[in-house]
Amino acid sequence: MVNTSTREVVLEANHVSLVFNAGTPKEVVAFRNISFELRQGEILAIVGPSGCGKSTLFNVIAGLLRPTSGSVRVDGALVDGASGHVGYMLQKDLLLPWRSVLDNVMLGLEVRGVDPKDARERALSLILRYGLDGFESAMPRALSGGMRQRVAFMRTLALNPKAILLDEPFSALDFQRRLNLQGDVKRIIREQHKAAILVTHDIGEAIAMADRVVVLSQRPGTIKAIHTIELGDETDPGALRRSAAFNEYFDVIWSELDALVETVAA
Amino acid sequence: MAAIAAPDPHSTRAPSTRGFRATLVYQTLLIVGIFALWEALVRLEILPVYLYGQPSGIFAKGRTLLVEGDLARDFGATAFASILGFVIGTSLGSAAGLLLWLSQTAAAVLRPIIVAVNGVPKIALAPLIVVWVGVGLGAKVAIAASLTFIVALIAVYQGTQEVDEDLVKLMRSLGAKPMTIWRKVIVPGSTPWILSTMRLNIGFAMIGAVVGEYISSKMGLGYLIYNAGALYDLNTVFVGIFSLMALALVLDAVLGHIEARFKW
Repeated sequence: MVNTSTREVVLEANHVSLVFNAGTPKEVVAFRNISFELRQGEILAIVGPSGCGKSTLFNVIAGLLRPTSGSVRVDGALVDGASGHVGYMLQKDLLLPWRSVLDNVMLGLEVRGVDPKDARERALSLILRYGLDGFESAMPRALSGGMRQRVAFMRTLALNPKAILLDEPFSALDFQRRLNLQGDVKRIIREQHKAAILVTHDIGEAIAMADRVVVLSQRPGTIKAIHTIELGDETDPGALRRSAAFNEYFDVIWSELDALVETVAA
Repeated sequence: MAAIAAPDPHSTRAPSTRGFRATLVYQTLLIVGIFALWEALVRLEILPVYLYGQPSGIFAKGRTLLVEGDLARDFGATAFASILGFVIGTSLGSAAGLLLWLSQTAAAVLRPIIVAVNGVPKIALAPLIVVWVGVGLGAKVAIAASLTFIVALIAVYQGTQEVDEDLVKLMRSLGAKPMTIWRKVIVPGSTPWILSTMRLNIGFAMIGAVVGEYISSKMGLGYLIYNAGALYDLNTVFVGIFSLMALALVLDAVLGHIEARFKW
């Protein structure tokens, strides 16, 4: 657990709401009145039942969708359209299959117009540092799913974003790889002093990775609860998941989500 | 894992050497068998030679045409017109298809026109083309180019639409401008479609060239076939047809090599 309450606010959501087809009979409220702040070095997980607007909220924070009301600020600046202010990582690794690992990691730097030599250097140092050593000229199709996600994560980090958005980036991996990558991503985010928002439907993943877990209600999504996670310094993913504290959090969040689902069914 | 919007690069498996050899043997047997049967049926007078030709006559005719140089000239003329029409039509069509991605408005405006033009059998345009560019090489190339242009335009535009929308989203989130997305994602992402269009278009280019030769030419395999057909010289017709097949095989093999180089 990292005490982050005194650190600088990196990303701030203020009463954000999103309504599709507002003012028409087909009006759908995706989520309403979402407020939270993300501080430097912090990982914030957002969990909720499917269809609660998690991914839509993600798109709003990334600047790909404009909120109907409220605002998202990164470093105090209003997010208005996608401008690369935050890095993001999805379930799909979205590597360009015609580019090598190195060229994929460099993609964002290239788009930003960073000097190719500097871009190459920065990409290479990330690749060497985080377990892809020797694979820099491999093509994506030669890599396993876990390694591809690692490359995607390096691509995100290469731009040195203050905040990283993770939208279920581990859900396509098998259990073992998922746990390993969760641990690595968490460690790297800490090491690089980043802040991250993790959108997931996996409660265990949220508890294992995050400092705080935001529970969203069924659509229209609203914040139902925010839990601060304190699990000590355990880094082994297996031991972490067997600890009493972990399971307590799990039960609480599980029952909250369960209650939400029952309400809808009733 | 990631659904990459590209054909499976492993779909064209290279057959093993042993399998390849067996295939070659069967292919030879099949062709020899067909020719033997054909020759026998004609010799036994079950098939009339004036309607079906005769393999031995076709070979003799082919040899004569080869020795006299007519065949090389006709083969070369058709090959040249096909390749030139193919290159012009496919490159312009592919470029137009790629560029259409940049403007949804242009794509929407042009869609019905493209569909209408594509629906017209291009052969019907041949008289127009002859009026515009005259007879001979120009007409052949123009017909071949117009056929391949529209095929490439439609297929490659389709290809740009099949590029994973999430890749475009990723680029946008990195702050890329449409032109950058086009250059770095749409163009390379569409190459599989460009390559498969090339395969298709070689056939269309040959159709265009041969039709051009039927209508208005003094040389080429189409001219050879058309003239011989009018004279009931079926052996010569078959020489022309087999030459076209040979040309198709050669061009397809060349494209196969080019395609293999672009696999990622």
